[in-house]
Amino acid sequence: MSQVVAQRTGTPKKGAGPLAYLSRGSTLKSLVPLMPFLAFVAYFLVFPLTFIIRDAFLSNDGKFTLDNFAECFKGVYGHSFAVSIRLSFISAMIGAIAGAIIASAVVKTGTRSRRAIAATASVFANTGGVPLAFMFLAGFGTEGLVTKALKALGWNMYSGSFTLFSETGIILVYCFFQIPLMVLIFTPALENIKPEWREASDSLGGGRFSYFTRISVPLLFPAFLSTTLLLFANSFSAYATARAMTSGTLPLMPLLIGNLVDGNVLANQEHLGHAMAVCMIGVSAIVMGIYLLVLKFSKAKP
Amino acid sequence: MKRKLTPANYLALLAATSFFVFPLIAAFEFSLRVNLGKSHGFDNFRWVFQQEGFKTNLGVSFRLALLTAVAVLVLMVPTVVYLHLGGGRWKRMIEFICLVPLVVPVISFALGVGTAFPVFLQSTVYELSFLYVIVSLPYTYRALDVGLSSIPLLTLVEASRASGASMRQTLLFVIVPTIRSAVNGAVFLAIALSLGEFTLAVLLHWDTFPTWIANISQGHILNAIALSVLSLVGAWLVVVVMAIAPKSLRSNKTQEATS
Amino acid sequence: MTEQNRVSVQLQGLRKVYGDAVALENFSLDIAPGELVALLGPSGCGKTTALRILAGLDTDHSGQIIINGKDVAGTPANKRNMGMVFQAYSLFPTMSVLENVAYGLRVRKVDRAKRDARAQELLDLVGLGEMGKRLAHQLSGGQQQRVALARALAIQPNVLLLDEPLSALDAQVRTQLRDEIKRIQTEVGTTTLFVTHDQEEAMAIADRVGVMRHGVLEQCAPPQEVYLNPANVKVAKFVGAMNSLPAEVTSPTTLKIYGQSVNLRVGEGGAPTTKTGKALVRPEQLTLSHGDGSGPASATIINLTFLGPLTRISVRMTGDSSVLFISMPSALALDFPTGSTVNVEIRATSVLLDF
Repeated sequence: MSQVVAQRTGTPKKGAGPLAYLSRGSTLKSLVPLMPFLAFVAYFLVFPLTFIIRDAFLSNDGKFTLDNFAECFKGVYGHSFAVSIRLSFISAMIGAIAGAIIASAVVKTGTRSRRAIAATASVFANTGGVPLAFMFLAGFGTEGLVTKALKALGWNMYSGSFTLFSETGIILVYCFFQIPLMVLIFTPALENIKPEWREASDSLGGGRFSYFTRISVPLLFPAFLSTTLLLFANSFSAYATARAMTSGTLPLMPLLIGNLVDGNVLANQEHLGHAMAVCMIGVSAIVMGIYLLVLKFSKAKP
Repeated sequence: MKRKLTPANYLALLAATSFFVFPLIAAFEFSLRVNLGKSHGFDNFRWVFQQEGFKTNLGVSFRLALLTAVAVLVLMVPTVVYLHLGGGRWKRMIEFICLVPLVVPVISFALGVGTAFPVFLQSTVYELSFLYVIVSLPYTYRALDVGLSSIPLLTLVEASRASGASMRQTLLFVIVPTIRSAVNGAVFLAIALSLGEFTLAVLLHWDTFPTWIANISQGHILNAIALSVLSLVGAWLVVVVMAIAPKSLRSNKTQEATS
Repeated sequence: MTEQNRVSVQLQGLRKVYGDAVALENFSLDIAPGELVALLGPSGCGKTTALRILAGLDTDHSGQIIINGKDVAGTPANKRNMGMVFQAYSLFPTMSVLENVAYGLRVRKVDRAKRDARAQELLDLVGLGEMGKRLAHQLSGGQQQRVALARALAIQPNVLLLDEPLSALDAQVRTQLRDEIKRIQTEVGTTTLFVTHDQEEAMAIADRVGVMRHGVLEQCAPPQEVYLNPANVKVAKFVGAMNSLPAEVTSPTTLKIYGQSVNLRVGEGGAPTTKTGKALVRPEQLTLSHGDGSGPASATIINLTFLGPLTRISVRMTGDSSVLFISMPSALALDFPTGSTVNVEIRATSVLLDF
């Protein structure tokens, strides 16, 4: 690490000048090397997005309308906002807190095991869909091994109203990819906290509590917050796992959209699907906006 | 960096391990069940390998992954390198663009693609690769950005230019080898995403490995579980072995810089 | 030894502006074939800009760059055939030392056997013949700079450009490598531009030293000349140590300093326009004799700093309380303990006046 730092200081200062041979002349000309990227993004990202937004404002006979959006907030569709947002929020909070606790243990292990854990976390963070659903059915389903083992120990998970296909069940399943994602992203942030700071705080007479409140929390807060919001977005948009788990019994926004556009539930409701999709983007954008605002008012940068 | 773990730390690691390992073990046990659970064997696995769809769909997914990886490299490496050199003034704008896919849920994105893309693109499964490049943008950009920040890029580029190399030669001979581990990271991300992606594939009506698993699960549940266990453990083994392999097998010191 | 190009360089009227800051103003410099010119100046004086413009790494300037009679202003950096050595960290970390040296030939599509042989030859030249297989980070800082030098020379460059190549090194290695660079440059005979902020380094290595201030080349002359006959007050004050003594202009060619008559040298600034000014006298141009505390040049020793062969003595003038520095052989300085009363004598043939 120290070598990298030394190298950085050796790098000549940046500025418009020394690199003029790459970005000769005007502002517009300096965009030229970015053209492939911008063209790609424009065609494969911006172009589809404009179509969703356009279609969200069209009626079935192709006229401008706001009815699709009005419909969005009614009945099961309106309900799905609450369910999706609540589920994503709880799953993000659980994932972030559990992940941070695990990361604070992981960061103390040796380089090799940390590397292995990071690799494992990256695999688990990417699980989802049918494979994940089956693992939980096998483990925590009514006939699952964990359920049976717990029953043998005297605790019946299913004594109450719990099922894996309920909101609580889905949250449990989402933990399987949310927690590893948090560990994966939050461990490097913890690694940046130098043990010297703890020693400096101790030598100045600061106790464990004041170290925690005055140093760790302000330093880690931006990273914690940004990762938590990433987890929120992650579960908010999760479709494969939700579809595999609930087959439509739980009103989650991605599932409703999927049903609407696949047309196998209700015909001629595609534009409602587009409006829901726009609403989902809106929710994500609001979350991102909150994050940027909070970041602006906190001292440290992630 | 190694520090003493407290009992609470051990407890956290133990709890985490159990939470992740038990469902896996349970799924594995299920996948071994034959004769309606009366005995255990590898029949479910054997059945999977005998299916025509296994090979073809796995093939499709691997080809998609390969194309995605190549597209990520060709598109992103020159772009991010340029942002670190002369194009610094556009860095914030590009960073922002690369975060947009995080804000757009994949399901919303899939709808737009369905209506926006012309027929010629929608007629090939490889359209998915271009979409996977978009979905993986936040991660691939970040990996390359971190990698390039950790090397004295400007000096290396100027040394190469002064030696007589063109920008293309500099990119291939100097920059890419120097940020090899960051490039690997970006490629791995893109490959992992392509191999596991379900939403776009299913909504655009393409058959890939993940959609095939979902398909056979209707009616062949134990085989689907076997396949799930197999793919997860397989991926895990590959990644962990690569992560803890002796240093000589991995790329050189930039690994430390970026990891 | 290996064939090298011997080319002349003419930089004419270069001007370079970064935003509002002028980095280089009307910069003109001719370098003869095989000559080593050092550009000397504090950071931000434009010396590196001049070198980078010659290399083609900075563009958007006005003025001409003529190499061997051809204007190369429009030629990109990679077509100029320049050998460049940077301050540090310029070796390609994934290539071996030999591959680094052979790199310029590789991109010129020279076949492998040929370029490896050439690279080995250059590694031998810089004294690292055995190190070819190592990676850059397995070498010391001094060795890395030797490799960078070999790499720059491998392409038989038109001009060798050295951008503060020694400033990241330890003092001892710096001196050693400095002499080595001079030896190699003399041997291969490549026209060289060397940029540094270190006066001693510039003086020791260069055929001519160009002193720069605020984007302007103040003087470019052999080291002795820059030191002994600075073109103007700015150069005089920047290069080496200098005392400023109160002086009175007694005729167009003479000054009176502490009661002594000294010849006035008229620099680029022209003849003095005022009756008084500050005469610039180097510490070794002053000597001491024991005195009785009277007379205009009377002074008291206030401090002695032992610097090995030389000792630096500070004295306070009795008349105006100003402090002067005198440098003399340590053996002679023994005669002047702290507190003793002395007379200061000026032993300069002519001095510049700052007015």
